[in-house]
Amino acid sequence: MTGTNWIGLYTLTQREVGRFFTVYRQTVLPGLISSALYILIFGFTLEKRISEIDGVPYTLFILPGLIMMNTLTNASSNTSSSMLQMKLLQQLPDILTAPLSSLEICLAYIIGGTVRGVVNGILVMLLGVLLIDMPIEQPLATIGFIFLVSWSFASMGLLLGQLADTWDQLAMMQNFFLTPLSFLGGIFYSISMLPDWAQKLSLANPIYYMINGIRYTILGVYDSPPWHSAIMAILMTILFTVAAILVMKSGKKIKQ
Amino acid sequence: MTSPAIHISDLHKSYEDTVALKGVNLTIQDGEFYGLLGPNGAGKTTTIHILTGLVLKNSGVTEIYGKDTVKDFRFTRSQIGIAHQELPIDWFFPIEKLLYFHAGYYGISKHKAKPRVEELLERLGLKDKRTSRLRQLSGGMKRRYQLAKSLVHDPKIIILDEPTAGVDVELRHELWDYLRELHKNGKTILLTTHYIEEAELLCERVGIIDRGQIIKEGSPKDLTKELGKAGINIHMTGWCEELNKALSSFSFTYDDNRLHVTVKEPEADMAKIIQILSHHHCHILNVSVEKSSLEDVFLHLTGKGIN
Repeated sequence: MTGTNWIGLYTLTQREVGRFFTVYRQTVLPGLISSALYILIFGFTLEKRISEIDGVPYTLFILPGLIMMNTLTNASSNTSSSMLQMKLLQQLPDILTAPLSSLEICLAYIIGGTVRGVVNGILVMLLGVLLIDMPIEQPLATIGFIFLVSWSFASMGLLLGQLADTWDQLAMMQNFFLTPLSFLGGIFYSISMLPDWAQKLSLANPIYYMINGIRYTILGVYDSPPWHSAIMAILMTILFTVAAILVMKSGKKIKQ
Repeated sequence: MTSPAIHISDLHKSYEDTVALKGVNLTIQDGEFYGLLGPNGAGKTTTIHILTGLVLKNSGVTEIYGKDTVKDFRFTRSQIGIAHQELPIDWFFPIEKLLYFHAGYYGISKHKAKPRVEELLERLGLKDKRTSRLRQLSGGMKRRYQLAKSLVHDPKIIILDEPTAGVDVELRHELWDYLRELHKNGKTILLTTHYIEEAELLCERVGIIDRGQIIKEGSPKDLTKELGKAGINIHMTGWCEELNKALSSFSFTYDDNRLHVTVKEPEADMAKIIQILSHHHCHILNVSVEKSSLEDVFLHLTGKGIN
């Protein structure tokens, strides 16, 4: 074997995708249920107080944010938990002793996480279409953006999974960074509703750009120019993918 | 001349403050059955983990069939099948599927792997468990799976890190038979074990590793001959002073009608000793032989037991 190990890459990808589908009750259904609850509770109750934002009904306005939150949390948790689980359950040596390069291993994990992110994002999107007849202005751009963000956060999750030693560390990342940044990224509001200082602070939150981008592709409304979101998503994708591959190549926290 | 299956030269490895390997040199020829013996922390697992890419070396040469294990990792790793000491846990897939996955990692498609997977499930008694998850298997069954997994890509070199640790006697013998069969079929086997009996029975050559260095190598027979402590115990009457001279070519002690002669090869020397005693009209009541073992050699070299 000399060139790329395509069968190895395909197999590991298949394993990663199969892994989350076998436990779909933990990996797919919760996102759908919580999104439905957000739509019903937040949307319908708050819609009486906030009827429209940027000319869009409130329930519709929050849906792109919910799609993005599901996409990025699922993509990142798939790779991070799978990597840490493999480390802790002694499964990782099987991968590391196989003729797979660091790039192939990373790609397989990232594709697995991306598939989960895309599946979850699209399912919430379909839920929006079914429940509140959500229109989608640019379907292809929406799917493309979900894909890009999934890839980016799957890479980030892989990086975290490689560096983490315990579940506690992973949970800390999720609870103290990802979830707060998602909520502060404008899922439930437009940043134009915030005071000046808070608007400026929001611009430092990368998840804000993800929500802004998908809101534009679905509803056609935005707080920042959509190309800012596209550039941020591309930059994050490159940054986290390269970082995950380099860490894998270095063997840090994986090889002794 | 063909390259050896495994070649390690001047291998060094440190973990922070701990020096694990201090210049390990090891060459294993193609088709050889080699045992690496050493107490806990001697460097056995570190050595094999460096060969398979799980541990990064500090310096030294590690080659598989003449190819560097880092630069030519695709080639070298595809030649090796490793059964790790730690038993893995997988919650998601049945063991049959896991074997197909493992073959896939080595570039073997499901279609091509099928006959091999079927053969291994049958041969290792896992056929009825093919749909079971690893967590549902007993320790012995997990060991069988571990071995099946290491063989699924039909490697030329099999590395077994404590393959019979924690298994019952029956399964241990079953696994030994299978390892003999694999060796007979031309596989190169590198075995690390705590069971000296295992190494004595299976290995053509053993290396004793201690504090990060291989301190002695040889066939179990040669090592026990060279460094073992075999002896003959003779319960007898009729001892006379002339026997001190007659037995002077041997190292012996005599006390309370019991003669103990330290010899390298009891079988070869016994007749000679008995002849001398008979010649001096001694009456032999009982003869017993103390066989030298690899354990004695191990103790002699390392000053401690393997466990």
